Amino acid sequence: MPRVISKNHIPNLLIHLKKSHDVFAPMEKEGEVVFGNVEDPTKVLLNYKTTLLPPKIYFLPPEEELFKVTNGRVQEEQLNNKFVVFGLSRKDLEAIVYLDQIMNKKPADTFYLNRRRAVTLIGVSEEEVGVPPGGDLILEKISDRYYRTLALTKKGKKIADLEFFEEKEINHKAKSHEATSKLDQILLDSELIARAIEWSRENYRQIWEHLGRVCLGCGICTYVCPLCYCTSTEDKTSFDQTVCSRCRKWDACTLPGFAKIAGGHNFRPTQAARYFNWFYHKFVRAYKEFGRAQCVACHRCQRYCPAGIDIEKVLEEIINAFQKAEPERKF
Amino acid sequence: MSANVKLFSLAPVGWKFPADRDGLIFTPGQFFLVGRWGVGEAPFGGASSPFEKGSIEIGVRKAGNVTAALHQLARGDEMTIRGPYGNGYPLDFFKGKDVVMVTGGCGIPPIATLIEYIIARRELFGRVYLLYGALTPDDLLFEERYKHWEKHIKVILTVDKPTPDWKGHIGLVSELTREIKIDPVNTATAMCGPGPMAAALENILRPLGIADRRIFVSEERKMSCGIGKCQHCTTGDKYVCTDGPVFYYDQVQSNWD
Repeated sequence: MPRVISKNHIPNLLIHLKKSHDVFAPMEKEGEVVFGNVEDPTKVLLNYKTTLLPPKIYFLPPEEELFKVTNGRVQEEQLNNKFVVFGLSRKDLEAIVYLDQIMNKKPADTFYLNRRRAVTLIGVSEEEVGVPPGGDLILEKISDRYYRTLALTKKGKKIADLEFFEEKEINHKAKSHEATSKLDQILLDSELIARAIEWSRENYRQIWEHLGRVCLGCGICTYVCPLCYCTSTEDKTSFDQTVCSRCRKWDACTLPGFAKIAGGHNFRPTQAARYFNWFYHKFVRAYKEFGRAQCVACHRCQRYCPAGIDIEKVLEEIINAFQKAEPERKF
Repeated sequence: MSANVKLFSLAPVGWKFPADRDGLIFTPGQFFLVGRWGVGEAPFGGASSPFEKGSIEIGVRKAGNVTAALHQLARGDEMTIRGPYGNGYPLDFFKGKDVVMVTGGCGIPPIATLIEYIIARRELFGRVYLLYGALTPDDLLFEERYKHWEKHIKVILTVDKPTPDWKGHIGLVSELTREIKIDPVNTATAMCGPGPMAAALENILRPLGIADRRIFVSEERKMSCGIGKCQHCTTGDKYVCTDGPVFYYDQVQSNWD
């Protein structure tokens, strides 16, 4: 018999988890859905589209102190308590699993992995989950009142064993997938995208020149992306110079100085070159490195781009042009 | 070392850098991330003998925030170092061959450490040349080592703008290839220098019969993490920090960024 939790019990579960963990979950703030520290569990959203910033903020924070030096004594970053991120969407879970793969690739990123070890991930899905993308526990909605548990790890199993869950036969089934977006369909063929993008660098330059003029170089697309992970290392010093820390901060390959070296030479001097590189990394370098495009079609970059760039349309246009120009390839 | 390049020797206090089975603490061509707390860090190629366990030398050109701060340090000040990172020159491939090293200006540190390695194992190599060019005689670095190097290898220097007392060559480093006698099918070439130099050399090394897979270039980028994650050092589909910084010439010659 499946283990289920009633919708009414979810706030109680969160209150229970809060006793031993920091709990973060999606909630509404100034008209946007954002992840935040759960104070009032009834404010936690179960059914939402996407959050503004992706959950990577908990494993690869916008800024983190890797080392702290106080009066000459060096201390490595200390992680606080174990924590829970609740209410993750399937796409965000999928992105976290891919990010884990990237950070685990040797030489591994130990700072990221330490944070990942400290967290329990609980997904919530209003539709049928199908193949579980990842995380520790997923709550799949099977009726108006009940969520079925899919425990994927020991950590997840431990939570599903709590008294808020019960064994119950429910005759309802999870709602089947809503129609996937065009971008989801494009992403089914990572190889085709990689070939088309590589081809477009010299053979369809007009699109990059156009996007170079449109793109504001603000970096928002990379900050809201659940799979962008560019960083820079920078030091910070306290006012009285007694404490300093070596910090790692989010960076963005679309910002003007990203590929600049000492002496001022810039390997990507134009916005067109930088914008192309953003695509090149996601769809070509990533494909060669990990066999798959670094995009889960969450549509955040499209939604928050102040210049209105829609990567779905960009990919579609390039692939169409590529297929037209290279018809000999069997698609 | 020159008007805007200083040599730093980083020596651990109370311990020594660990060496591998061959006695090397790093492979010539590998880099370190060196900095100072409160200022930050930047990538530098090791420049000293890789057999020297007591210290690592780096050449620092004053060019940005970190390097300017390093230039203000005094003897005995504390610095941070992590590494070595990346792949150096393939030393086993170089063994038994003639070696041509070509570099310009402040690209010499990785070549300098390669020279120290070759001199320490001199009997393993054939004819060895250093072709080194700079803008003015003052910009030629490691001057104090030339006498020692010349006892073991052929050192050929050139400058663009000579001073009245300059006795060496005048002109581009690529023109110095006329001065060397090598067996092209048994030669390995190590390069470290700016893109235009590599392109000029390509046109000279190929007619000499040196294949691209015998030319090794060291690429310069702003490595930040050193472990192939942060994306600052990418060129095409390669990461300079983990795939390089030393590449076969044909791996990077067609890269656009």
